[in-house]
Amino acid sequence: MLKYILKRVLQFIPVFLGVTIILFAMENIVPGDPIKLMAGEKKLDPQTEINLRASFHLIQTDADGNPIYDENGDTIETPMWERCALYVNGLLHGDLGISYQRKGQAVADILGAKYPYTFKLAVVAIVLEAVVGIGAGLVSAIKRYSFWDVFVTLTTSILVAMPAFWLGMLLQLFFGVYLKDWTGGAFYLPISADFSPSAVFDEGMYYILPAITLASVSTAYAARIMRSQLLEVMNQDYIRTARAKGLSGRQVIWRHALKNAMIPVVTYIGNDFGAMMAGAILTETVFNWPGVGYETYRAINQRDWPIVLGSVTVIVILVMVINLLVDISYAFLDPRIRYGAPKDEA
Amino acid sequence: MTEQKSPLQSNGAAQVDASADAKAGAVPQKSRTLWGDAWKRLRRNKLAMIGLIWIIIMVVIALSADLWVPHVLGNPTQADSSTMLANSRLAPSLEHPFGTDTLGRDVLSRVIYGARVSLAVGVLATAISTAIGLVLGALAAFYGGIWDTIIMRCADIFMAFPYTLFVIAMIAVLGNGIQNVFIAIGILGWPSIARVFRSAILTVKENDYVDAARAMGASDARIIARHIFPNSVASIVVYATMNVGGAILTESALSFLGMGVVPPDPSWGNLIEDGQKYLATQPWLMLMPGLAILTTVLAFTLLGDGLRDALDVKMKDA
Repeated sequence: MLKYILKRVLQFIPVFLGVTIILFAMENIVPGDPIKLMAGEKKLDPQTEINLRASFHLIQTDADGNPIYDENGDTIETPMWERCALYVNGLLHGDLGISYQRKGQAVADILGAKYPYTFKLAVVAIVLEAVVGIGAGLVSAIKRYSFWDVFVTLTTSILVAMPAFWLGMLLQLFFGVYLKDWTGGAFYLPISADFSPSAVFDEGMYYILPAITLASVSTAYAARIMRSQLLEVMNQDYIRTARAKGLSGRQVIWRHALKNAMIPVVTYIGNDFGAMMAGAILTETVFNWPGVGYETYRAINQRDWPIVLGSVTVIVILVMVINLLVDISYAFLDPRIRYGAPKDEA
Repeated sequence: MTEQKSPLQSNGAAQVDASADAKAGAVPQKSRTLWGDAWKRLRRNKLAMIGLIWIIIMVVIALSADLWVPHVLGNPTQADSSTMLANSRLAPSLEHPFGTDTLGRDVLSRVIYGARVSLAVGVLATAISTAIGLVLGALAAFYGGIWDTIIMRCADIFMAFPYTLFVIAMIAVLGNGIQNVFIAIGILGWPSIARVFRSAILTVKENDYVDAARAMGASDARIIARHIFPNSVASIVVYATMNVGGAILTESALSFLGMGVVPPDPSWGNLIEDGQKYLATQPWLMLMPGLAILTTVLAFTLLGDGLRDALDVKMKDA
């Protein structure tokens, strides 16, 4: 097992470096100079500009942080690979760098302020997904070809074909506008609303609609996987044996079939939790949710690349850790799987 | 003969049987192809046919839009300043079936022109992803070894990115505009197609006829083009059909965020973004373009499901 974990972690290193290199390459190509953007309309004093560039390692500096000049008296741009190495080095020391546009703020602090919202929303959404997705999948598999089966199949097809941000608006329209008298309009957060995060987001009510929106597509997939898995397991020999022993249909499903059918669904939901930690730009935009996704989106638009880098780095690491945990938990759920055994080394 | 053996059969039926036998004997039976069979099966799938018909309707409307939409419904992009105030955000009526927007433009005409964008993005982005995915998937599967490792690690790197963020960053790098939306969605879609094609080739490659072709001295290119591609094309067709819907959804998300099609040109995403402001008062402004997305993506999914069943493709990872 330990060997397997080590192997996975080692496999992750080239992927992680690749992601970092692509991001640095993007920063190099992306139009707009971040230092000029910092000043906005004002013209920067040349010396200040040089100092700023030096402080972000955009130009080469000596050991004391003073810019190095070439023979013509010009500054020397730091090559991409060197900045990449500097970044990874900082990362190993737990340093995500400094934001360009938020004067002197550390990227870690900016993301740290946003992650609680993303995390809480993801937890609510994943609980919803697990309960509704597994429940709906079970009902439609057990009562195959019944009204509920058709209903679940139809609903999941529609949910998957719908833009999630549009679903968010439909929910706002229905609960916030049409049912205003009943819900008190609490669900309705107009895009122009001006509110302070602390005042609004402590209210549990406000989690409901964003969580439904965030979970919609993956709940539909979870239900489909659950249905097809249970139907497949029900065809297997050991289920026939259980029936032949005289167990009731309910006992067969709960005691024998469900355990095995659950494994792929649990994996899917686990991996999805990782994906949700990336934040949800669209859900966050529709509901004005102060999460990581929207922050990163804004940073891309403002060419605040340290935030983009930091956020993608954290996301990629989180996703990989969560996926690894899910795969490890596999071994406990299913004794047939033995990681690291010579046979299964794939 | 037949009559004596089965006395229960009526004379008429027996005669039909006999004549059918005679026909089959005289005229060689029409050869059956994979695609002919698949089409027969697809035609029996009601949901898939509904999807196909809906797609055809959308394509015909989108392609013929220039001929009739401006005359019947009005100009989709330019507002008429003299009637702007009077026509602003009218409710749906006979004259304007989907109502009008703030500048008095007919929403139906804008949704129709938005269909052009969405269908073009769906098809072109999928074509780009498929082309890249096919080449890389084929290289990885056919040559294996170091090629396989490099290409599949690259696919892992692309898949490790949070998808929406990656597309947005890509658009930031390339700049706004419809052609960059094709490119960004197209480029980022290759890893899944490459994986599907790679596993399809790996399965086909094991067959004896590939060994036979090789023993007869066929070149790699010939084996790929004449033996492997035709035998794995079914899974690609199914996957690409499903992918079109995904590309349409991604485009709508980009335009919704203001990174895709630039107003005043309409696209379903920026129509929804525009309508969001009037959610409480004029909800049809965001409902109609959303329904257009929903039905079109659903149509591609239904068609894709139908094709998968008709072509008997097993989808492993998708």
